[in-house]
Amino acid sequence: MKMVVDVKSVKKVYGAKGNVFTALDGIDLSVMEGEFIGIMGPSGAGKSTLLNVIATIDQPTSGDIFIDGTSILTMNEDQLASFRRDKLGFLFQDYNLLDTLSVKENIVLPLALAKVNVKELERRVDDIADTFGIRPILEKYPYQISGGQKQRTAASRAIITNPRLLLADEPTGALDSKSATDLLESLKELNEHRQATVFMVTHDAFAASYCKRVLFIKDGKIFTEIVKGTSPRKEFFNKVLDVLSVLGGGTSDTV
Amino acid sequence: MTLFSLAKRNIIGNFKNYLLYFLSMIFSVVIYHTFVSLRYSSEIEKNIESFQSMRSVFLQASIILIAFVAVFIWYSNAFFTKKRKKEVGMYSLLGLRKKTIGKMMFYENLLMGAGAVIAGVLLSTLLSKMFTMLLLRLLGTDVDVGFTLSLEAFGNTIFVFTCIILITSIQGYRLIYNFNLIELFQADKEGEPLPEVSMIGVIIGTILLVFGYWIAFQPVDSNGQILRNLLLIMGSIVTGTYLLFRTAIVYLLKKAKEHKSSYYNGINIIGTSHLLYRIKGNARMLTMIALLSALTLSAITIGTSQYYNFTTHAKQLEPFSYTYISKGDIEEEKIKEIIYEDKNHPVQAELTVPLLKVHTDPSDTDLPEYLEQLMAEFPEEDFINLISAKTFNQVSAALDRNEKVTLSGNEAAMIKPRYTHDSFSDYEGRTITLKLPEEEKQVRFTHLLEGRVLSWRYPDAYIVLSDELYSEMEKQIQPVAYKTYQVKDQKNTELTSNQLHQLGFDDLKLSTFYKVYKRGLESAGQDIFTLGFLGLVFLAATGCMIYFKQLTEAHSDKGRYEILRKIGVRKKEVLTTISKQSLFIFLLPLIVGISHNLMIVKVLLGINLIGGDISIPILTSIGFYIAIYLGYYILTVNTYYKIVNL
Ligand SMILES: Nc1ncnc2c1ncn2[C@@H]1O[C@H](COP(=O)(O)OP(=O)(O)OP(=O)(O)O)[C@@H](O)[C@H]1O
Ligand SMILES: [Mg+2]
Repeated sequence: MKMVVDVKSVKKVYGAKGNVFTALDGIDLSVMEGEFIGIMGPSGAGKSTLLNVIATIDQPTSGDIFIDGTSILTMNEDQLASFRRDKLGFLFQDYNLLDTLSVKENIVLPLALAKVNVKELERRVDDIADTFGIRPILEKYPYQISGGQKQRTAASRAIITNPRLLLADEPTGALDSKSATDLLESLKELNEHRQATVFMVTHDAFAASYCKRVLFIKDGKIFTEIVKGTSPRKEFFNKVLDVLSVLGGGTSDTV
Repeated sequence: MTLFSLAKRNIIGNFKNYLLYFLSMIFSVVIYHTFVSLRYSSEIEKNIESFQSMRSVFLQASIILIAFVAVFIWYSNAFFTKKRKKEVGMYSLLGLRKKTIGKMMFYENLLMGAGAVIAGVLLSTLLSKMFTMLLLRLLGTDVDVGFTLSLEAFGNTIFVFTCIILITSIQGYRLIYNFNLIELFQADKEGEPLPEVSMIGVIIGTILLVFGYWIAFQPVDSNGQILRNLLLIMGSIVTGTYLLFRTAIVYLLKKAKEHKSSYYNGINIIGTSHLLYRIKGNARMLTMIALLSALTLSAITIGTSQYYNFTTHAKQLEPFSYTYISKGDIEEEKIKEIIYEDKNHPVQAELTVPLLKVHTDPSDTDLPEYLEQLMAEFPEEDFINLISAKTFNQVSAALDRNEKVTLSGNEAAMIKPRYTHDSFSDYEGRTITLKLPEEEKQVRFTHLLEGRVLSWRYPDAYIVLSDELYSEMEKQIQPVAYKTYQVKDQKNTELTSNQLHQLGFDDLKLSTFYKVYKRGLESAGQDIFTLGFLGLVFLAATGCMIYFKQLTEAHSDKGRYEILRKIGVRKKEVLTTISKQSLFIFLLPLIVGISHNLMIVKVLLGINLIGGDISIPILTSIGFYIAIYLGYYILTVNTYYKIVNL
């Protein structure tokens, strides 16, 4: 199997001298094509930061990241933009919807930027609107919809391009359990049927139980990781809970 | 902590927010004070003959300026206040009493106003020296100007701005009372419903504009009509422009949105939606800019056309260098002597122009319209001047003109009266009955001539007759003989001209080209200065308005472009969409402004406020304006791009 993302001793330090904060402290991580990885850890552990550097929207202070074997340090601005546009789907923790665009326009934005033809574009919106139950709000604007609806919109935008690499930062944080399950199922479907590699940050053990591998991060370092392997989801869920109780900072739920 | 010091801290703390408002106030003070200083300038008074008339022009211009400055400050104040509503809400939430907050806003505005006036006056003292020199140079006097402070000017500025600042301060005081808390907090909440397309608005707007333009192309006769038309044009154009900006643009943008294959094509979706998102707020600004542009352009066009045309005008008003009535007295010898003594301006042509003054028959029904009006106005006077074709051709030759006329029998040629738009068709085939002591002679108009022969005087009626007819008539009436001289380099004959005028031979109706020329020069210089000054102010103001507006938009767009970059939009695409959006904002009012300008020029031509060849002045003004706008545009796009890419 091909290696999609290779994170090599990445450090991320915020702030200038005197007042520095190390958000990532030497992370090493290899991700194979088709993996479904969960990232958990207490608030402020550096999970979002890790996603950001992988997404190339933030630069590591030291270390390197290889995407499909190419170091992001050697890529220029245009190549990075192409990568983000063509291969990456990012579901941001704070949604990052454009308030000047309607829900539908927000969702099709990546397709429009990629100049996909209108017919195909409409077809895909149609599909995704049903999957996430957002058809009634397609013509509304972000300020007119609820937090959960925003999250679903953001999710639709992230996966509408069928990205090869999907980064999801707490994709179920604002959702009720029905919508959360729908979302997780579609991530799974993307992962299993379209060979997308999925990275998902979550505080929710139930969501984490969808992953094939879960990494735990604490204070900018990888604390431990557990692999689902062939174990059933229920068992994996309990394992996650066990680690979280050691780590602290997780929320528990029942399956 | 006292209120006053809280207000002071506010200003220092949020300096960036305040800077814009402060700068626009300073700008207003500077232009106003500079202008007022010129009005009271002793330097200018010393150097200009027609200072009194100048003063009244300046007075009118400064009234326009007051209106402008008031609107400008009011506009920036509203803009500034809008950005601070949340802050005000916050104070209220923190438990400050409304009265306290109101007072704070009041002091704050007062403090800034005072600062702006002081800074503005100081700055404009430097500027007014420059402008005084510029003005004097335009008026054809070169002197070195020192720094002067006029107390009158200072008082005037202080008074005007105290009024304006007090009003805006009171507005600031009332802000907290006029809104309830939730409104203050939602002031800059993102998202507004998209404006509806109102077809009625589009239709009414179009009708108003068409109506305004239609009126502009109607001929006018009386002053009352002119005033009425001007008001109608102004009203319909202002409202029409606003309605059109408010509605037609929304309509166009929505249409662009419906055209999916281009809307969903790359970055277009961003540009179109951004424009649409802001159109409500932009409509008013675009209207203002379009109208100001039209005004500016017209001001520049009038100014340049006068400056460009005044020599031609002078030549038409006073064709010869020196002209007087020859009566064969010794006085004439004196004049001749002075003219010939001026070795710097040798005489190129000396000519006697004989002329018959006659009257027409009141019962004449076939008169051209122009003569009919004169007839009604001067029923008793011999207002018709007759000259022979031979004389006309001699004058043409003496003045290096190409126009020649051959007439026979009772053919006649009218010399085109000044300040009319008469064409040959107004005279063709018409006749006039000339009343002579012994008989009446009817002549038929067969030509309309352009070349002027003698000094312009009202009533202005010169008819050229065939040589036979003229000599026949000459036997019946005594001709008046005008003596005319053409000299080399007549524009610089100040000394000789003054000498001649000092002779005081009033009954000889002595007139000189130089005097007319100098008067033209002064009034054209004055006009181009005043209009140029106003134009410059408007230009700066419109430019600033767009620039500031775009910059505030840039700041609020920062987050949006950050999101776009995160999802893979290239920097180049960001630049493209910013350039396109700004182009839209710049181009629309420019096009509308230019079109309005052409219409205004047409109106001014119609009422003879400007005349002569105006194509070059119009083209230069528009070219100049576009060049400056291009500069603003490039600057705006650059700064915008830098802000969103930080
Ligand atoms: N731009 C920044 N400047 C300074 N510090 C930052 C910045 N962004 C993040 N941090 C700090 O880095 C640390 C990691 O932040 P990060 O957003 O990665 O946390 P997280 O694991 O995603 O937390 P959460 O679960 O709450 O989203 C935090 O302590 C945060 O304060
Ligand atoms: Mg996070």
